[in-house]
Amino acid sequence: MESPAQGATQTRRITIDPITRLEGHGKIDIFLDAQGNVAKAYYQIPELRGFEIFSRGRPAEEMPQITSRICGVCPTAHHMAGTKALDDLYKVDPPSAAKKVRELIYNTFMLEDHALHVYVLGGPDFIVGPQAPKELRNILGVIGKVGVDVGKRVISMRRRLREFISAVGGKVIHPVFGLPGGVAKGISSDELPTLKELANDGLEFARFTLQVFKDLVLKNEEYVKLITSDAYTHRTYYMGLVDAENRVNFYDGMIRVVDPIGKEYAKFAPEKYGDFVAEHVEPWSYVKFCYLKPLGWNGFVDGPGSGVYSVAPLARLNAADGMLTPEAQRASEEYFSTLGGKPVHFTLANHWARVVEMIQAAERMVELANDPEITGKELRVLPTNTPSVGVGVVEAPRGTLFHHYETDERGLIRKVNLIVATQNNAARIAMSVEKAARSLIHGGNVSDGLLNMIEMAFRAYDPCNACATHSLPGSMPLTVRVHNQSGEIIDVIRR
Amino acid sequence: MEGSAKHPLVLALGNDLLGDDAVGLYALRLLRESYGEQIDAAEAAGGGLELLDILEGHTEALLLDSITSTAFCAGTVLELSPEDFSNTAPPSPHFVGLPEVLGVAAALDLPMPRELRVVAMVVDAPCAFGDKLGEEVRQSLPFYLQSARSILDTWLAAEPNVNRENSVSVPASSLF
Repeated sequence: MESPAQGATQTRRITIDPITRLEGHGKIDIFLDAQGNVAKAYYQIPELRGFEIFSRGRPAEEMPQITSRICGVCPTAHHMAGTKALDDLYKVDPPSAAKKVRELIYNTFMLEDHALHVYVLGGPDFIVGPQAPKELRNILGVIGKVGVDVGKRVISMRRRLREFISAVGGKVIHPVFGLPGGVAKGISSDELPTLKELANDGLEFARFTLQVFKDLVLKNEEYVKLITSDAYTHRTYYMGLVDAENRVNFYDGMIRVVDPIGKEYAKFAPEKYGDFVAEHVEPWSYVKFCYLKPLGWNGFVDGPGSGVYSVAPLARLNAADGMLTPEAQRASEEYFSTLGGKPVHFTLANHWARVVEMIQAAERMVELANDPEITGKELRVLPTNTPSVGVGVVEAPRGTLFHHYETDERGLIRKVNLIVATQNNAARIAMSVEKAARSLIHGGNVSDGLLNMIEMAFRAYDPCNACATHSLPGSMPLTVRVHNQSGEIIDVIRR
Repeated sequence: MEGSAKHPLVLALGNDLLGDDAVGLYALRLLRESYGEQIDAAEAAGGGLELLDILEGHTEALLLDSITSTAFCAGTVLELSPEDFSNTAPPSPHFVGLPEVLGVAAALDLPMPRELRVVAMVVDAPCAFGDKLGEEVRQSLPFYLQSARSILDTWLAAEPNVNRENSVSVPASSLF
């Protein structure tokens, strides 16, 4: 992509700023040519300053708390990646019970966060409909469509999941339970009945959500046509954490990358990420665009020769050979058979893959709740090694999340590198926005519904701009500014 | 959330890693010292449906937040009510705005505060990492506290002691 400044004097400009229902505020610039067709489209986010400097000189043990507070949307993911980075920093392996407690909390978080996206952020696009009036494309519209009782169920389930995370890990936004070599608090026998009930209800809720998705989305031919349309398709590489049997794992494992035909391209341990992931800078964005280092940066293009890859639910399912749990496995088989086999390249299929992952998260909660070791008392191995470098990786709801810390011998931070999910996805998101814009806008016809369908291209990734620039989540009004060929604003639309 | 739901809720929104964005948190900590168990104090770095969880069950709620504005300079204290947000997008940098949260509560018949007020401080730099308040915000903190105290004192049926020289009450729609 060129800089927005290039050629701008000969184009009409549409600005969508900021993007609605997306954590962190961003902006889409669409430049139309004299015929009213899309010349270029750019996905931009604001800058947040000073994280590296803020972290430098602080004890590494503070990083799981600090990083969990840079994003109010996925604090548990940052906390867990930070905790795992500390394990690696001190070269300490937590006891089995501690790992299971971590995994239990993490799957609870995944279920809650995915539910939030399905019903609040992405759901309005499909449950309410992409062309529905803008005042209905929100959670209120979803409640209107699915009914008050379902709305109450969603709110209640989400709250119970968060309360459980808080009970074990401290406040959801400020979790405190992860320590190098273990956890600060385990699960008591007294908590077990509540945990089992929550896990079972969570699984029922995930099954229910899958049925909602099937009824409201998959039974609608127009929606299926939209999901599988070329406007929302990119044949890229895909990345995700997998266990020893190449099954999707949110908490731990090796990082696997498959190519655009689904063949394994690479599989590596988290600490080797620097050999496979590199970052490209564009003058029009503060985000560094990740690409596969061995393939090099070849621009915003897809195909086997491109280094562009994707993370998040669609990518996780593509990068693995299967799901970790039986019901999720069956759900994924239906997903792949319906969408033409593996790999699935349809960006909007992220929504379905997310629901499949809800099933896995809930099933894993049930498994762990019934594991005798979950109430184990051996919860920590004290670190004794001199720290140097530590890397921790988890699958955040939005995709692979890397934390990399370097310290002096006292454990004081010298260098921090975070690669967040949205950064991993940034190149593909930029491609998706431009492709959707080119496919949908013709002859200067730019309706509110069309703009929403362009926004759908990136909302499917559940991106978190806040994370990508290390800021808090936020949402600001959507403003559409329409510029004529001279650059003058001829219309302003606020949502 | 701390305390029981029978006391007025004071909910501070902000991130204490982002300098001026934390002004509400600073104020809340001072209000805690003054009011002790007369208020239910809560902090939230997120927003949206998290607010629903915190607000539910309270009859009175005061939100302390920071805000960016092109119409007012940093350090200006603004008093807002839910009506100010009804026809405009939420000025709070937290996704799923207050109107949507209250709309969800109404749709689901969840008990929300009968009285809900917002005291917001205009800030210039809510997106820079730091653990200190900027000069303008620090100097206006007493006025911010006065606005909060005025509201709380009314709710607590205490003798009001209000000095609002540096406080203004404006509709949110004029901020943009």
